[in-house]
Amino acid sequence: MKTTSDFPSINERVPEGQGNDGKALKVLIVDDSMFVTKQISQILTSEGFEIVGTAADGAEGVEKYKELYPEVDLVTMDITMPRMDGVTALEKIIEFDKDASVIMVSALGKQDLVKKSLMVGAKNYIVKPLDRKKVLERVVSAIK
Amino acid sequence: MRVEYINPFVEAAFNIIKEVLQTEVNRDELYLKKSTQPVLGVAAIVGLAGDVEGRVLIDMSQETAIKVASTMNGEELTEMDELVKATITELANMVTAQAVTKLHDLGFKFDLTPPAIITGENMQVSDINVEALIVPLGLPHGKVEINVAIRERLGA
Repeated sequence: MKTTSDFPSINERVPEGQGNDGKALKVLIVDDSMFVTKQISQILTSEGFEIVGTAADGAEGVEKYKELYPEVDLVTMDITMPRMDGVTALEKIIEFDKDASVIMVSALGKQDLVKKSLMVGAKNYIVKPLDRKKVLERVVSAIK
Repeated sequence: MRVEYINPFVEAAFNIIKEVLQTEVNRDELYLKKSTQPVLGVAAIVGLAGDVEGRVLIDMSQETAIKVASTMNGEELTEMDELVKATITELANMVTAQAVTKLHDLGFKFDLTPPAIITGENMQVSDINVEALIVPLGLPHGKVEINVAIRERLGA
């Protein structure tokens, strides 16, 4: 016989990082700053997301995306990085997978590049300094 | 050097530090130095080139840098490691991005170099033919100095 504890409470909040199948949504973080990578990782894992990979520049990010595909639900992409910038990496990822969910992470003052990214196919963007609530709002809007 | 160049950096540093450290920041009096100046121990340096040229230093002691990085990371860091350097670099990135947005809005056109971190004891910085304007900011973690040496480019 089932007891009440077998049923999820209607008041229980489902973490944002949990997909419809109950599994954690998988994230690839592309950023050249160890600090920002850690910050994004802390915010997202605290909401149940799983960080499946990190990359320190755009070229490595594209490579990792292809390696992990289709096991990536979201990419957070820094704009200014060495070797290959985030907008170019975004273009390459969209070229490979037109349905990729990529969210740009930008410092203030990069409005032109943010606009370009949204035209290329980024789902949303976050401006640094990162605020937990804003990051989650933008991420959720990008994947749902 | 025109004070209008330094104000956006000071305002940006004031706002960003207040926001990321969730603390009060006191702004001390601005002063000008023409010759070689000592560097406090950890300096994030960003170069500017365009209508104006020069550099901005965000300067603090190692102890302050570790305390600032600890707060920004939400954990106690004890030594000047890669994470502390990455955190201070990011702080400099955020400050310069906000300041440059303001300067671009005022009509100045220039590019920035990515921040570099310099650490060590008994360091000095010399800027030939450009005086530096320095604004010390007081916070519970220690003193942070915004040190700006910029000049208009001849013929720009």
